[in-house]
Amino acid sequence: MFRPSVYGSLLFAALGLHAGDTVKIALTGPFSGGSAPMGTSARDGSKLAIAEINAAGGIQVGGKKMKIEIIERDDEAKNERGALIAQELAAMGDLTGVIGTVNTGVCMAGDKHLQEKGITKIICPAAGSKSMTQWSEAGVKDCSIFRFAAYDGIQAAMVVEEATNRKFTKVAVIYDSTNYGISGRNDMLDQIKKQGNKLTVVAEEKFNIGDKDMTAQLLRAKSAGAQAILIWAIGPELAAISNGEAKIGMKAPLIGGWTLSMSNYIDNAGKNGNGTLMPQTFIEDPITPKAKAFINGYHLTFKVGRIPSAVAAAQGYDAVYLLAAAVKQAGSTDTRKVKLALEDLKEPVQGVIATWNHPYTKWDPADVTTHEAFRREQVVMGMVKDGRVVFGNEADRARLIKSATSATPAKVKAKTKAK
Amino acid sequence: MNPSIIGQMAVSGALMGLVYALIAYGFQLTYATSKSINFGQGELVMISAFFSLTLTNLGLPYWAMVPGGLLFGAVMGLVVERAGVRLALEQKSEGWILLTIIIGLFFFSTAENIWGRDDRPFPTPISADPIHIFGVDVTRLELAVAVGVLGIMGLIELFKRRTLLGKAFEAVSADRDAAELMGISATRTVMLSYGLSGAVAALAGILVSPITTVGPTMASAIILKAFSVAVVAGLDSGFGVVLIGMFLGALESLSSFYLGSGWREAPGLILLILALAVRPTGVFGKAVIRKV
Repeated sequence: MFRPSVYGSLLFAALGLHAGDTVKIALTGPFSGGSAPMGTSARDGSKLAIAEINAAGGIQVGGKKMKIEIIERDDEAKNERGALIAQELAAMGDLTGVIGTVNTGVCMAGDKHLQEKGITKIICPAAGSKSMTQWSEAGVKDCSIFRFAAYDGIQAAMVVEEATNRKFTKVAVIYDSTNYGISGRNDMLDQIKKQGNKLTVVAEEKFNIGDKDMTAQLLRAKSAGAQAILIWAIGPELAAISNGEAKIGMKAPLIGGWTLSMSNYIDNAGKNGNGTLMPQTFIEDPITPKAKAFINGYHLTFKVGRIPSAVAAAQGYDAVYLLAAAVKQAGSTDTRKVKLALEDLKEPVQGVIATWNHPYTKWDPADVTTHEAFRREQVVMGMVKDGRVVFGNEADRARLIKSATSATPAKVKAKTKAK
Repeated sequence: MNPSIIGQMAVSGALMGLVYALIAYGFQLTYATSKSINFGQGELVMISAFFSLTLTNLGLPYWAMVPGGLLFGAVMGLVVERAGVRLALEQKSEGWILLTIIIGLFFFSTAENIWGRDDRPFPTPISADPIHIFGVDVTRLELAVAVGVLGIMGLIELFKRRTLLGKAFEAVSADRDAAELMGISATRTVMLSYGLSGAVAALAGILVSPITTVGPTMASAIILKAFSVAVVAGLDSGFGVVLIGMFLGALESLSSFYLGSGWREAPGLILLILALAVRPTGVFGKAVIRKV
């Protein structure tokens, strides 16, 4: 489905902006449905960055300044639509890069078409481990897919750590039956083992997208004595879990993937969501001047009082700056040259989450972190409090300010740290 | 097997089952007078819930929003009757099946375009905090569902038995031709039944939304179960749908607890097949002697 803005950009093209005059960047993601808060936030965060870059005249490419042209596609969080869109984008020929995709399943279905044509894509904000590890499993020598999100490996480690730090010993693991949920469950179970089995999993429960009644799963968890629920799922069903807990008088807090910060979780769970913990790369709190400008800019431009998914928005914003820096360094809009530049960014890029210092390195199939920008240091625990996400541990505020204002340590190639 | 868990699962399932019963009752109302049912009833539930949500967002208090929502549901029921059912019935065709489905799809697209595709919370002054009764936790919301469902069904049954208009309704249900000969307008009565059925659907939407959230697809799962309830109970027993609805709801939650959540629907479907095989007119249905 074409959206009005696509018509707008088509019209723009017809009015005389020929190919070669602009840097074409595709923004994809689910702009409707249960994943929409993440999709629209990532898109709008990216648009904010693009508007800033264009207002400053564009990107310096070789000898001239070029503006960014947006190609926007709604994948509706459906794998088959994602595959079609990826095919369409792969066939375009003059595309510089793709930023987007929220759902791990959509990555799995579509990214192979982009990879085949060598089109540079920054996955943002899909976090499922599989969407990057698929390339190392396939032994791909030259990968054009990057990720700009705290991948589930990091998040699962933090979730298990948090539960241990809060002195829980018995937990229930609950997940949805999508690729995202199942891979999240595996990551969490791995981490529990890796961190010395300090947590006992007393119940393992799943549910389907669209389920509203979680009483059975929760009662089983409750009767097994779970003190906390480690969970991997998407907004609306997460809310059904929190509301179900309130119904049966269960007090176990939810600790889980970053999707617990989505507006459709926070709104639908209401006060039952208070105390829920999740890893966050960005908290909607003006801790730095840059963050303040970004949050205000988002609120004003898109006329909201709260960003539907602040993490997705901030990541979408920074991802555009990374891609723009790569285009500038490559001195070309050719997607393959941009990919090489992205793997070897010489100058630090100032974003709203952090100042990104050489975030990616040359792809190594044995180490997916070469194409992962985030490390543990840029992620904090967020907590739901009265309809907003705040810092889960106050000490993290200072840490994030530090990471946002000073450059991240340059990535060392061939790190030994396993995912 | 912990008796308090069995009790908990059975009670919360049965309370949800009352919503199935209410929607099934909406099928019965129109079936009684016209031998037709609205296959787009689920969309009627959904669009009325959205309309009521809009009323709430406009600042209307709950007590004023509920009648507004019911009225909207009744009007939508009349729209379905006028656009989808009346012509087909006049021509003695089964066209209403397709037409009501199409009107339902139309409602669905309308809702998507006006309100979007996202699930939204439905605010209500009724607290969602649990209260403890006989070792079982129930929320006031769930109790409100029970009170609302039984209340409106009781009112409609009273209306059918105690008022002149209601008696006309019963007369048309019993024998349409004879009633017409007595001077009762069958067309008006069918309109009345569709209006009531729409109001009942709206109430189901208003009652269930605070528990399940409002979204274009909110009723698609519920409606299938309401069909099962209507078929298993029979299409002419109001008492039957309440009983079967609660039974099916309890059965569902017990099976999702003991067999795993993937098997939630299975026993209900087996029950449906059995009922169709053993008692095609429904457990509480009257055996029909068809004169040929």
